[in-house]
Amino acid sequence: MRLILAAAFAVTPALALAQDDSAVQDALKARQGYMAAISANMGPLAAMAKGDVAYDEAQAVFHANNLAALGNYEVEMHFLPDTAQGQVEGSHALPKLWDNLDDVRAKHEDFKVAAAAAPEGVKGGQAQVGAVVQSLGGTCKACHDNYRAK
Amino acid sequence: MEPVREKLWDPALRAFHWLLAFFVIAAWVLGKFGPANMWLHFWCGYAVAGLLVFRLIWGFVGPEPARFRHFLTGPGKMLRYARGMFRRVPSYWPGHNPLGALSVIAMLLVLAAQVGSGLVSDPDDFINVGPLAGQVSQATSRAAVGWHNLGAVLILALVILHVGVILFYRFWKREDLVRPMLTGWKLVRRDD
Repeated sequence: MRLILAAAFAVTPALALAQDDSAVQDALKARQGYMAAISANMGPLAAMAKGDVAYDEAQAVFHANNLAALGNYEVEMHFLPDTAQGQVEGSHALPKLWDNLDDVRAKHEDFKVAAAAAPEGVKGGQAQVGAVVQSLGGTCKACHDNYRAK
Repeated sequence: MEPVREKLWDPALRAFHWLLAFFVIAAWVLGKFGPANMWLHFWCGYAVAGLLVFRLIWGFVGPEPARFRHFLTGPGKMLRYARGMFRRVPSYWPGHNPLGALSVIAMLLVLAAQVGSGLVSDPDDFINVGPLAGQVSQATSRAAVGWHNLGAVLILALVILHVGVILFYRFWKREDLVRPMLTGWKLVRRDD
């Protein structure tokens, strides 16, 4: 009995650690996947804005709708404490992100607002897509400048 | 031997110097504090690139004081110059002194690297992507953003050193190095 208890105590921390680790990995995957999803929809719009791809209103609205949906997504839940660069392998988030959560939230809100305006904004032609990409890209930059490792 | 007034810096080199100062400062300030759309910063960078190409050519075909072989010397000469540097007398040096030459080369190299990293940078914001970012791997264009940031720190350090040394010459050695870069005329002494 004593042996079983001892074994249980020995295993418990390791188990907790393993569970913790998988939660951290899930969080990392989720938030980086979120960024990848934004990127996958920004890319075609940016290409259209530059003229690399011909303007196609249906396509533009399609990607803008996805971005609007992504803007509504509350990604904060995936920014678990102690998952900054240097604390977790593969993280590019700077530790100061967690010291400035209000600012981070405000910056995500800017993205949300810009993304919400995108589906209507991209209608009408290449120049319209350009303006939308500018306003969306500005909100990417505002946060990356301060909180993403370079 | 008495120092003599001499036309040292040619007009093209002076124009190069002040244009470089202007565009480097403008690019630096725009990079740190400018608007989210960095097209002005980009154009400052292109201007710096053009100026660097000019300086490279001028270093081979320009007037004597502008040529690399004129001011790039060995460590012996640098050490000898460094030893006498803190005497409170003007240097009357006819051009970039052996130690200052190091600073010139450091600046040109760091600025060239800065132009290079800027051209291939992709900061992942879809609006400020370097024009050559597509020519390199994604990992490189990502990393280039980091190098570009490091470069900004190095440039700031070199500029502070540059201005600091000019103040040192002005107030410790009582030699004005700014006016010659404006007018071309400098009091120089050639010992040999």
